[in-house]
Amino acid sequence: MRKNVLAAAAVFVLLGAAAYGSFFIAPTDAKQGLIYRILFLHVSSAWTGLTSFFICFIANLLYVWRRQPKWDWLGVSAAEIGLAFTSVVLVTGPIWAHPVWGIWWTWSPRLTSTFVLWLLYVVYLVLRTLVEEPDRRALLSALFGIFAFIDVPLVFGSIRWWRDQHPQPVVMGEPGSGLDPVMFRVLFFSWFAMLALMTLLLWQRYRLAAMRSDLDTMQQEMEAR
Amino acid sequence: MKNLDSVFAAYMAAWAIFFVFYLTVATRAAALRRDLDRLKSSTTPGK
Amino acid sequence: MRLFTNCGALIGKELRTEYRSRELLTTTIVFILIVIVLFSFTFDPTSDESRRFAPGLLWLAFLFAASLMLQPCFLREQHNDTLSALRLSVSDPFAIFLAKLVANTLFLLLTELILLPLFAIMYNVAVVPVLHWLVLVFFLASLGISIAGTALSAISAQARMRELLLPLLMLPLLTPILVASTEVTKSLFDRAPYVQWKGVGFLAVFDLVFLTALWLFGEYLLEE
Repeated sequence: MRKNVLAAAAVFVLLGAAAYGSFFIAPTDAKQGLIYRILFLHVSSAWTGLTSFFICFIANLLYVWRRQPKWDWLGVSAAEIGLAFTSVVLVTGPIWAHPVWGIWWTWSPRLTSTFVLWLLYVVYLVLRTLVEEPDRRALLSALFGIFAFIDVPLVFGSIRWWRDQHPQPVVMGEPGSGLDPVMFRVLFFSWFAMLALMTLLLWQRYRLAAMRSDLDTMQQEMEAR
Repeated sequence: MKNLDSVFAAYMAAWAIFFVFYLTVATRAAALRRDLDRLKSSTTPGK
Repeated sequence: MRLFTNCGALIGKELRTEYRSRELLTTTIVFILIVIVLFSFTFDPTSDESRRFAPGLLWLAFLFAASLMLQPCFLREQHNDTLSALRLSVSDPFAIFLAKLVANTLFLLLTELILLPLFAIMYNVAVVPVLHWLVLVFFLASLGISIAGTALSAISAQARMRELLLPLLMLPLLTPILVASTEVTKSLFDRAPYVQWKGVGFLAVFDLVFLTALWLFGEYLLEE
């Protein structure tokens, strides 16, 4: 319990520092003024979501190879947390777009690809609800998770290429859109803070999965008696 | 400051998503812990 | 090589099964026809509008059709447990997948080629000058759809709600194919047609990546 509270407090402090940096350390943007600061939340969430899905991918590979339940627990946890971060990207995107460009949704490469990414992992979780037997569920979702993750670069790449054919006036902090060095540092710190949050959430969710598994085993043992 | 409310809304929405996630995990964990304790206490007397 | 002999025999089995009933091909073709007609109500089918929307509609129709056509792929092996028989008959489970995906690619390609003239007439697009390029795009895209679809149908066959699950698994995963094929087809239907090699390259990369993944992980998809 003590460890829990300490960890949560540390993450809280980091997030607070990142927010401070976003508002007071990063310089003002000439074109967009205050609103561009959403970038530090929006982009760092996107990168953290991808990191979480990468962890899911590794867990999936390890499950298929080793068949130890702990990899399945890590996989589902990382998928859910990745979805949480990806949802933040999809929500902050429109909140950023509306005051600046007058539209709620922009089919920018990041937002469009993130939407597909979100759908892929929602489907991953839906698949899990449709397989009852735990070992089979773990194997099938691990295999789908592997296919989904290797699809991610293809999704991002194809959508970016498509957007190059149909240029959009909207620039939502896409990489290479000219961030000044101080902004980059604040962005990387924000990402670091988000990774800390991701780790905390992963730890909690993983323990939940482990407990669920313990409970199921105990119940089975009792029924066997 | 122009658009301060949008930036505020964005941060609030993000924290809401994380907080709700954390809360759902914590409540499910507490319920599971109760079930586990109940099961453990129901097996030990029988041994 | 043993893999190819096994595979050849299995492809023969797939083709013969379909030839006997022809139900897969006919239902798929009718489905796509219905979708094409329904799409025509959603926009003004004059020549310019058609040129803009036609490629997207064509590929959407093919994708939806494929997600339905690939359902029976592994489901029909569950009757009488023919899947176990197949597994015992080959040393490499990849042969089973290879055979199914070759057969599925052929079926999809056949469906697309049958529908292409009808589509061209209904939406006033000139396909004859670019026919060979269209066939190349159709082939690469159908291959990609079949590779991913065959693998995913092995997954959905083992879950509940499989009829709804397969499209759910396939459609987000096949986004790159939709994007690339639509773009390449659009440039082929243009007044001054040209080939977008980057798009063709994308399709080839997708096919290669997923074929490799299927080769690496296929045996686990067929585990008991």
